[in-house]
Amino acid sequence: MTMPAIQPLESYRLAQYAVPLRCYICETDNTFDAEFCTHCSAPMALAHQANVRKVHPQMIAVLGASGAGKTVFLGMLLDMLARKPERMQLLARGAFSITLQQATLSALSRCEFPAKTPNEPDRWNWVHCEARRTGQHKPVELIVPDMAGEAVLEEVNHPHTFRVVRAFLAKCTGAMVLTDAVKLTDGTREQDHFTMKLLTYLSELGGGGKSGWARRPVAMVLTKADQCEERLADPDAFAQTHAAGLWQHCRERFGRHKFFAAGVSGTCAYRESIAEGRVQVPLRVEPHGIVEPFEWLMENLPVKKR
Amino acid sequence: MRKLGTHWIPAVILPFSLAVICLGWWMTNWFAVAGGVTGICYVVPWVVPFGRVRRKKEERVAAKPAVGRSVKRAPADPNDTDALVEQMLAQGRFALLLRAQIAETLSKVHFRRTLEALDDAMTLVPDGEVVLGRIDEALNDGKLMPEEIIAGGGRVIRVERFFLDRFPVTNREFHEFTSSGGYEQMALWDRSVLPAVLDFVDHTGVPGPRFWRDGCFPPGEENHPVVGISWYEASAYARWLGKRLPSDAEWVKAGSWPMSLAASTPSVAKRMQRKYPWGDTMDRGRANLWGSGPDRTIPVEASPDGVSVGGVHQLIGNTWEWIGGDFRGGDHPEGELELPTPMKSIRGGAFDTYFDNQATCQFQSGENPLSRKHNIGFRCAVCVCDLTLARDNTATAEPRARQENLEQPKPEAEEVPV
Repeated sequence: MTMPAIQPLESYRLAQYAVPLRCYICETDNTFDAEFCTHCSAPMALAHQANVRKVHPQMIAVLGASGAGKTVFLGMLLDMLARKPERMQLLARGAFSITLQQATLSALSRCEFPAKTPNEPDRWNWVHCEARRTGQHKPVELIVPDMAGEAVLEEVNHPHTFRVVRAFLAKCTGAMVLTDAVKLTDGTREQDHFTMKLLTYLSELGGGGKSGWARRPVAMVLTKADQCEERLADPDAFAQTHAAGLWQHCRERFGRHKFFAAGVSGTCAYRESIAEGRVQVPLRVEPHGIVEPFEWLMENLPVKKR
Repeated sequence: MRKLGTHWIPAVILPFSLAVICLGWWMTNWFAVAGGVTGICYVVPWVVPFGRVRRKKEERVAAKPAVGRSVKRAPADPNDTDALVEQMLAQGRFALLLRAQIAETLSKVHFRRTLEALDDAMTLVPDGEVVLGRIDEALNDGKLMPEEIIAGGGRVIRVERFFLDRFPVTNREFHEFTSSGGYEQMALWDRSVLPAVLDFVDHTGVPGPRFWRDGCFPPGEENHPVVGISWYEASAYARWLGKRLPSDAEWVKAGSWPMSLAASTPSVAKRMQRKYPWGDTMDRGRANLWGSGPDRTIPVEASPDGVSVGGVHQLIGNTWEWIGGDFRGGDHPEGELELPTPMKSIRGGAFDTYFDNQATCQFQSGENPLSRKHNIGFRCAVCVCDLTLARDNTATAEPRARQENLEQPKPEAEEVPV
């Protein structure tokens, strides 16, 4: 026996479903209540915010090999500019933009590095923020994701594996490419080669001409400078000596690039962990050279025509 | 024959042209005026570059990293005891003068002046117990119960009374050491580090702290704490003064100024121990840390509000301070650490320390003893038992009164089980 029931017809939902929402990264249509893009897995919150606020944020990529320090660099940068807005101020847009900062700083305050960024794009932390330089009236809206190094490498080696990486990098107006300076001094060329691969990928991605990567600013950041402090007084000379291929590549392919040195921990030790094996531990936190690459990048970003 | 060069050309043409202009103006001969103007136009490109060159030269001189000036003392005559004592007092080596063997030979005036120098430069930290280890959570309660100390992996250390420098060692004080040949006096250095001493040079290759030039500190930084020195350089300097680096327990005791409160039963006995020299809550206005200062070192007498109960300045912030003991990393919340190199303990936080919880009296970090970092300095300590503070018939009333409270020499620190 069947019982009659009254089911309210939420016609407004049908109307919403009828109007697709375009992903801000890959521009694929999604339903209005999708949390992540069904095509590239980027958070749809970015598209919602762009629609509501009627702004089109610029995109900046933070790239580097796995373990180069992208999460720490980005989390630290956001927190430093939020805490001390003398030269430049960053204000988060949306609660999701603070998650990265929160996770990074929480770990560092306990003298630990944050957990490794997972490879799945839907688990990455995306930051949508508003950057304002001193004396600048109109802030710049930015989107900066914390992408996993292994995912980027996979996309570089096997294009279209991670659609979000390709779609995002094609739209970026600038990039900060991180390289582990300690590994460079060790003589292992792994970092050098990875960064060269990445730069080659970038230079071929945006096409040529005025809008290509050859004209976009790229800040080359040598991370973990605190562990080879004396050798990093002149980052450009350091790169020329220890990563000659990378240095040449930048000179030839990227018209607007500059080398920087950055460090967050004063000194590191190691800890044995059952789950993760041998884990590096910062003995204290004293950031250096974190803000400078970002400031340079902001100065060199192309001005958007209104 | 001396070459004339081309300097005479503008010197001749310029006055001649001016004279022609004036004459032409007076005679209303515009051709003459035009000729004079042409002459000046011809001379201008000669004169302007000279001005530019001069300006550039001046800029270059101004940009040249000048070095701070400090008095370089002439060596005193070894046979002139008074001159030697005067020199040692000027160098701040009063602790050596108060060693038993030397103090007996000092004149009454010199002995009094030496005691005054000690009082000015150092503060007395009383003996007592101090708790070290992971006790931050217990400190948040404002008290340390025995069970909390055990739960936190803490330990109670007994410290004998000692003198601690009121201020960190400054560039000017360290310059006394370098200019008197401290880097060449092998007896001051640990035998194990002798091969590395040659590598302890400044930017210009002269023995001295890493960030100095030509054996001297940067101008205007004479009262800034000396940085860019390794643990071994700090130890050698302390030895030269007749002092030593403080132990972990001594440093924490001077900053946190612990007290044991009397209780009816031992099980409820309370220990009060400050998190910061000024109290239990962070006040960034009292210390030079990241975000509260100019992002570099400041003079040692700056931020007087951060002084400890005993009168020790800048224990927190400005520069980390080398401690005499080893760093074993045992207080990390996740357990034992594996150190890449043997490390020495550093405490207090620096101008670039980011987190408040890493700039407490309790927080301990470590550094390679050979590192010469931009944010690590030091201060010295000396045991009361190592000094002669009173002499029969010669001492002043004050040191005699102090001496009455002193006991026989005891070991530096004694660990007491909780």
